[in-house]
Amino acid sequence: MAGLEVESVEINGVDTVLEIEITPNRPDCLNILGLAREIGAITGKTVKGPKVKSVKTSSLKKLIHIENKKDCSRYIGTLIRDVKISDSPAAMKMRLNSLGINAINNAVDITNFVLMETGQPLHAFDHDKLAGGKIIVRRAKAGESIVTLDGVERKLDPAILVIADSEKPVAIAGIMGGKGTEITSETKNILLESAHFDMGLIRRACRSLGLRSDSSYRFERNVNFEGVLTGSDRAIDLLLQLTGGRLSGREEVSVRSKKIVTKIKVTIAAIESLLGVEVTAPKVKAWLARLGFTVTAKGEILTVTPPNNRADIGQDVDVIEEIARMIGFNHLPSKLPLIKTTNIAVDKRPREIKDKVRRILTAGGIDEIITHNMISSRSLTKTNMADLKPVRIYNPLNQEQELMRPSLLPSMLQVALTNINRGQKDLRFFEIGKRYFIDGEKESVGILLTGRRTHDWRSSKKEAVEIFDIKGLVGRICQSFGVNPTYGPTERASYDQACAATILINGKLVGTMGKIDKKVLNNWDIKNQDVYFAGLHLEEILALPSKALKYQPISEFPAIVRDVSLAVKKEIPYAKIEEICVKQGGDILKSVQFIEQYLGDKIQSGYKGLVFSCQYQSNARTLREEEVTTIHERILQSLIQDLSAIRR
Amino acid sequence: MQWNFQDIHDQVKNEAQAIDSPQALESFRLKYLGKKGVVAAVFASLGTADAADKAAIGKGANDLRSLVEQLIAEKSATTSSTKAQEERIDISLPGTGEALGHTHILTQTMQEIIAVFEQMGFVTVETPEIETEFHNFTGLNIPIDHPSRDAFDTFYLDAEDPAARGRRLLLRSHTSPGQVRIMKQNKPPMAVIVPGRVYRPDAVDASHSFMFHQVEGLLVDENVQFSELKGLLTEFCRRFFGPKVVMRFRPHFFPFTEPSAEVDINAEILGIQRKKWLEILGCGMINPKVFEAVGYPKGKYKGFAFGMGVERMAMLKYGINDIRFFYENDVRFLKQF
Repeated sequence: MAGLEVESVEINGVDTVLEIEITPNRPDCLNILGLAREIGAITGKTVKGPKVKSVKTSSLKKLIHIENKKDCSRYIGTLIRDVKISDSPAAMKMRLNSLGINAINNAVDITNFVLMETGQPLHAFDHDKLAGGKIIVRRAKAGESIVTLDGVERKLDPAILVIADSEKPVAIAGIMGGKGTEITSETKNILLESAHFDMGLIRRACRSLGLRSDSSYRFERNVNFEGVLTGSDRAIDLLLQLTGGRLSGREEVSVRSKKIVTKIKVTIAAIESLLGVEVTAPKVKAWLARLGFTVTAKGEILTVTPPNNRADIGQDVDVIEEIARMIGFNHLPSKLPLIKTTNIAVDKRPREIKDKVRRILTAGGIDEIITHNMISSRSLTKTNMADLKPVRIYNPLNQEQELMRPSLLPSMLQVALTNINRGQKDLRFFEIGKRYFIDGEKESVGILLTGRRTHDWRSSKKEAVEIFDIKGLVGRICQSFGVNPTYGPTERASYDQACAATILINGKLVGTMGKIDKKVLNNWDIKNQDVYFAGLHLEEILALPSKALKYQPISEFPAIVRDVSLAVKKEIPYAKIEEICVKQGGDILKSVQFIEQYLGDKIQSGYKGLVFSCQYQSNARTLREEEVTTIHERILQSLIQDLSAIRR
Repeated sequence: MQWNFQDIHDQVKNEAQAIDSPQALESFRLKYLGKKGVVAAVFASLGTADAADKAAIGKGANDLRSLVEQLIAEKSATTSSTKAQEERIDISLPGTGEALGHTHILTQTMQEIIAVFEQMGFVTVETPEIETEFHNFTGLNIPIDHPSRDAFDTFYLDAEDPAARGRRLLLRSHTSPGQVRIMKQNKPPMAVIVPGRVYRPDAVDASHSFMFHQVEGLLVDENVQFSELKGLLTEFCRRFFGPKVVMRFRPHFFPFTEPSAEVDINAEILGIQRKKWLEILGCGMINPKVFEAVGYPKGKYKGFAFGMGVERMAMLKYGINDIRFFYENDVRFLKQF
């Protein structure tokens, strides 16, 4: 394997077309001769190219003017007079057709043919249509425009380099020529352009114009500075042969007259230590020579000059890659590395926390989902979350993915909807994913429950999930981190305010949970079923101080359990009752256990029935009935007085 | 009293035959072995029997007792199993409680990939999705306005990079910025895996998504060789795809590695016919320009890096033919894994 992956092979008439993946570092392979050289090097065969006569003609002056040689480092303009424009020979047309290029006329076809053959983009102007008969390479002026060869009028700006005559732009440099100066059957005199433009400039212009061509593709990847002349000479040769014109003169403007010679030092030791293979200087020299490199060897040190079309070779590792390719990657040895990670201190907790939450939730029968985290503004509005300040994407693909979610809820509702629409209505999902804010991304867990609870065939009831199912899951997650959450009111408008809460640990907000508001469900087209959601902020849980556990002695003495049945006003939370029990119960009250809540006809209106039990126990002795009764009565009296509770 | 033991034996056998319930067995036992049972009566008759008959009667009683006991033992086995049968619960009814929830197949695949590398000594580090141009491009030798950026088309955010005025923050287009971050903060030797979500503005179809997952790996030390990169990835593929996997390393180009390669595996082991080779990951020796960008002394370190798409690995391994299934989360899809 030496590179140049053939993606497809197609037969086109008598021709065979290979589609080859050329990586952006190898513009030298974006033409037939370059590919031939590469294949020759790999296979060890000699490559024969067309013989190109160097052009000998009078040197012209003041035909070409370059305003800034940073934009255009070389420009060769050659004048050919008295051409006859006609069709190209069939063989040339066939080759162009195979490459997906329409044959137009002999002059234009030659420029395309030579582009494909040598990689040098060329452009032929009708010289008589150039105002002042001159070429000026300059930036477009604000407000200028040009109708390009494809017939489209394009607005130009000073970020775009153009080829102009003395009046107006006649081509967008490196990208496409103008309609006004194109070669037609009437053309008599041709000015052939062969140039080298700045790659970044062409790339930016392509982007801003939304226009790309075979020429711009090559300029963006950098054409060979030396190829500007050889490409021009090859085209001139063909033009003279096929159009019957005569050479009238040439002008070259260039930033440099001397060739730049790159010299890279590569040692045999460097090759061997990077690739893990043994090589010898003569072998390396031979491989590189086949690739067109000039190599001088002094013992184990090689001085390497890459061919002038290999701008990608700049450091020793680039040369070493060439050697690896010549050996063939598959022929290089293979062995396991010695792995040392001594200097990396990794905090494993963030990943462990996620794994733990995942285990707890899957153990609870909840399925993990992974959703898109790019959502629309509309989906936030639908979820009553328009007040959240999301991070917006500057170049979104479309409105559906215009911002980074500040909550997992909208993406999870979308998944619920997709399933409900397919008749799958009993859903229990969780996602461990990020929420995004301008100050960073935050790991969180979302849990969504809807539809029926898992059916227990021993009971005849088929019950829908409700808030305590999700509270139980939240509780289990908190329990796994050794913390006990409390719950407060929330004003998050996505929830039904009668059935929602904030989740607090040590008074710090770590999430919210609740029943999704009916209007929100309506907005999402989720009908006939309630949806419960909980969102937990993992980074808050991660920040909790770890709790030191201590063994508590287990009592050897019997416990006394007293059940309590009370009616209290509906608005009084059970937690309040437990709080009073603990306050009044003293040392001997070990625990309070909730048993049931009753909301039936047997309770006066505005009240709810609560049943719980108090467990009394001492670590030091067996409790006497009387002392338990005293304390228990004290608790009941306090509940009656403080909460107007009624004994049942 | 005279005893016709032969008749008694026949009668006992006949009665035993008819026993079909534990109750019948119990009355049978009482009839013969009870205090007032036949065997007791036989023994009792010894007292009044002629001396000459005593031995025969004694033997007859003992034989009878043995026979009855044997028959009871036989019968009790069959009648008690009938009892168990009658009372046996139907164990084929389902057990109760929650069935296990399913871990998303992408999570499982990611965990599987990470586990292979962790077993070989790598550590896992997560780095942010919201990134800077320096981490995503420049530090990785991907210059601005260079066609090598084409492969990494990027979502930019409506937010300025606090470290580079006038440049936007972006969503990382690959996990490789993790390399730059980790190398900036740590000195070699290091062997690190960076898993996570990445983003590219690709139109969605069966094989493209604007969001997907990658696992990046890098190993840096003073002496690291391409042969070790080959060895490590070969071992990874064997563990992930099975020992029969055939791989090839194909030269490729990534601006941040030199030499660079793509790794293909033979499609046949995955039962895929339409292609001979399947591309699974990109890799290479870390380009010295990247070491320079993170501030390592020139020439001191060598290393390799690799990156793979988690969706692609899962699709190949499990025969999933549409990337959209991962994010659609149809329960019928989720519950398969």
